[in-house]
Amino acid sequence: MSALTIVRLYHDLLGTYGDQGNAEVLMHRARGRGIEVELLEVTPGDAVPTQGDIYLLGGGEDGPQTVALEMLAKDGGLNRAVDSGATVFAVCAGFQLIGATLPNSQGLAIDGLGLVDVETIYRDVPRSVGELVITFNGDMQEPILTGFENHQGHTRLGFGVQPLGSVISGVGNGVPGRDAECVRPEGVLQGKVIGTYLHGPACARNPQLADLILESAYGELSQYSDEFAEAFAAERRTTLLR
Amino acid sequence: MPSSFRLALAHHAGNLAGKVSRATGRGRGETLQGRVVLAVDSGALTKLSAGRDIVLVSGTNGKTTTAANLARILQDGTEEFVSTSKYGANMRAGIAAVLSTKPRQRLVVLECDELYLPEMYRQLQPKVVVLLNLSRDQLHRTGEVRKVAQLWKDTFTRDDVTLVIDRDDPFLEYAASAAGHVLRVSFGGRRHPDAATCPACARLIDWSAGDYRCECGLGSELAQVRGDQRLQGPGRNAVLAIEAARLMGAVVPIEVQQELTANAPDRTAEYTFGSHFVLVRLAKNPESWRGALGSVTCDEVILSVNARGIDGRDTSWLWDIDYSPLIGRRVICTGERRLDVAYRLHVQGAEVAVADTFDNAIALCSSPRVEAIASYTAYQDLAARDMGISTTIGRD
Repeated sequence: MSALTIVRLYHDLLGTYGDQGNAEVLMHRARGRGIEVELLEVTPGDAVPTQGDIYLLGGGEDGPQTVALEMLAKDGGLNRAVDSGATVFAVCAGFQLIGATLPNSQGLAIDGLGLVDVETIYRDVPRSVGELVITFNGDMQEPILTGFENHQGHTRLGFGVQPLGSVISGVGNGVPGRDAECVRPEGVLQGKVIGTYLHGPACARNPQLADLILESAYGELSQYSDEFAEAFAAERRTTLLR
Repeated sequence: MPSSFRLALAHHAGNLAGKVSRATGRGRGETLQGRVVLAVDSGALTKLSAGRDIVLVSGTNGKTTTAANLARILQDGTEEFVSTSKYGANMRAGIAAVLSTKPRQRLVVLECDELYLPEMYRQLQPKVVVLLNLSRDQLHRTGEVRKVAQLWKDTFTRDDVTLVIDRDDPFLEYAASAAGHVLRVSFGGRRHPDAATCPACARLIDWSAGDYRCECGLGSELAQVRGDQRLQGPGRNAVLAIEAARLMGAVVPIEVQQELTANAPDRTAEYTFGSHFVLVRLAKNPESWRGALGSVTCDEVILSVNARGIDGRDTSWLWDIDYSPLIGRRVICTGERRLDVAYRLHVQGAEVAVADTFDNAIALCSSPRVEAIASYTAYQDLAARDMGISTTIGRD
């Protein structure tokens, strides 16, 4: 068995916005450090393996999001893996479905997987579409993270729940958290579970975020530099902060 | 002001604006001409389409080529002239320009942007609507594929129009499900990459038999026309164009059919840069990138990617594509989003270089023959430069 196992969940259903690329970036950066890594692809109908280290969920359309949620809830494997300490990186529709509640395609609230204490609500406002720039909520050498957001739902953090970062430009979660400490929160960071509205894919546009995910699953990482990754991330940061 | 006089005034004002635009080298004039026509007479579209036999062509991929092919075979097959856009104008103003340009032929073939199709369908009262495909494209603007399919389904409810569709695309089958007359063409053997669930009922679609048929009934209508399974996108679109031409009364000889489907061209252009001959293919979204990558034969390939509005401002679709046809070739990335595509290729293991301009990308090439794949505005910028027009098409 590999040192690191990445599980990509339903990329047919949750692959509308290129987030499947997060798996490729994580593998590339792990292998670049000499870490043996394997990818398990879970398609509808497969049982969700519980021995994975990192579970990836991407963005998708409303109907497929509901189908993915129903299958994950029925299977229970993802929740068990998180109970055993697995890392989760969930983007957009994936972020919404790991929360406590979210709207279905008719706009009615349904139960999510409850991995994080957030609730997504439907608000009759223009869809949030555009570049999103945030500051990471914690210690990071390069705290600016960028991505492209494209979502209708807004996500409220529960009491005491930390965001992934604070919005510099863009919408992010769209509503303050219940604590209202962070006025413009983006995403969620709760233990080893990360949710975000950053597409890009986020790990491609933010190598430091990719390393944060790898580190939470693998432990301390060796130094590694990839000039293509750094140039791309720096160009986005510079252009968007200009 | 009498209605006919207003229309005449609109026509002359528009015509003048188009001439000025072309003469001053600011563009091809079609869009400006149409804008002026609509500004002078807001009801111009309906008036200009009255009494004419109009075909609309829409879909994510191949609109311009298919509309041009259709106009040509309709003209040859009816021995009547056909009004159509020379440049692929496909929104309100461009369509107004085509319709107002004299001589106003009875037969009209119009390419139509996916989001403008409902409005054009209502205002122009077409006889035939050709729907090529629906796939991911410009997600920041058009929204998700399912939303466009729903918009179309809510539109196509009349029974005095015939829709010509590729029924292997479940989104088109859904879009046509309330329409009165549908000519279904099937090629078989393809799985739609965005249709894991049914657009009608959201159940998972079973594609295991190489086709789809949902429990709710979507996909159960039989196709009237069977196309060759081996055809690629442009060839399949040519078959749809031939069927539409027939519905409009054209005779399409067998040799024309064979020629069209065998050599159905992609949007390509050829340029000479110093000692290099460059074949440029237009590729606007994952579906057309897959087609373009499959056609690459040269050892050196330039990829030019922008993310201006019309290209789609979100570049994450670059990760939807498998670039293995480029592995083993030398790839040079240019365009405003060269670093996005360069990193994507680097992760897949391709040998990549980056150049800040197309000229500098060419300068890195050693072979006399080079291929390029360009996003929409990158392709248009090369065309404009070749025509000596200074422009930055679609820049935000």
